[in-house]
Amino acid sequence: MKTLEEFTHILEVHGTNRENWPGELRQDMESFLASNEAAISLLEEHELLEQRLDKIVVPDFPNLEQRVLHQHLPPRTQSILDLLLNWLIPVENFTASLWRPAMAACLPLVFGIVLGNFYSFGINSEIDELDYWDDELAFLALSDIPESEAP
Amino acid sequence: MTDEELMRAVCNGDQSAYQAIVKQHLNSISHYAFRILGNQKDTEDITQETFLKLWINAEKWQPGKAKLSTWLHRITHNLCIDYLRKHGNTQTQDHVEEEQENQSDWQDRHEASEDGNQQEQLLRNAISNLPENQRNALVLCHYSGFSNKEAADIMDVSVKALESAIARAKRTLRKQLSGVHDAQSEETTATSGKVNH
Repeated sequence: MKTLEEFTHILEVHGTNRENWPGELRQDMESFLASNEAAISLLEEHELLEQRLDKIVVPDFPNLEQRVLHQHLPPRTQSILDLLLNWLIPVENFTASLWRPAMAACLPLVFGIVLGNFYSFGINSEIDELDYWDDELAFLALSDIPESEAP
Repeated sequence: MTDEELMRAVCNGDQSAYQAIVKQHLNSISHYAFRILGNQKDTEDITQETFLKLWINAEKWQPGKAKLSTWLHRITHNLCIDYLRKHGNTQTQDHVEEEQENQSDWQDRHEASEDGNQQEQLLRNAISNLPENQRNALVLCHYSGFSNKEAADIMDVSVKALESAIARAKRTLRKQLSGVHDAQSEETTATSGKVNH
């Protein structure tokens, strides 16, 4: 503890209760307090403020407990979507259940593979071998081969 | 039963667990709301809504992250902030009206300021006149007894920001108090001077 400003800051931030002062600064605060009269009067000022603050009391709320206890509570039934989301992204221990969202992310891929395996969507990938060779010969016949290259 | 067990029961729709939680936390929640809102009717509404939110969102509480009281105060804090932003700062409005009334009989108040109630009223006004974040920081740390970190979590600010807010609040209140003291001592000196004269 070097300056009165630092001491003031600790008092403002942590209050006058010594137990609330940061452990590493408590000893410094105590020794600064023992050697500095301004610090003592500052502490007294803060204690006075805290005492005054403590005097401000809150009124009673006589019917509040009954009102809160007997208020209408909606039924705690969750929708299927909520249940699914809670299962998919659990609040507790999320990392251990990471396989759930990962699996959900893979589902479209699996679905695509399965769908692609069973349906052709009008695309015929089979090649008719005969048609293929006929076309090739027709192309060769039509092409202009120079005489010098002819055997 | 621990908070965790009670909340698990609430998640399963157990109303007696809900009632146990209400009985346990009602005072701290209503006192916090009152110190922020400053009037009884709104305090009761906000407290009721806080516990309704607890019932509806019970499964969202994460015991590893925050204590139940911290979580409940956070719900109350958000409700109070929403309310104040929607309806205007009721505490400040009250304070302004009161200040206008008080200005006319400043002398009377000055004479009566020896009375603790008058000082209490002045301090109460000074608190209600603090900016929202400073008032919240002061209430959470001084009255509700939260640590700076817990209070920062409730207010959703950094610990540094909270500490800055609480330091400013206390500085303002100390200034107000010392102003009252100065005025009192001047008054006493003047009165004793007249008597001696």
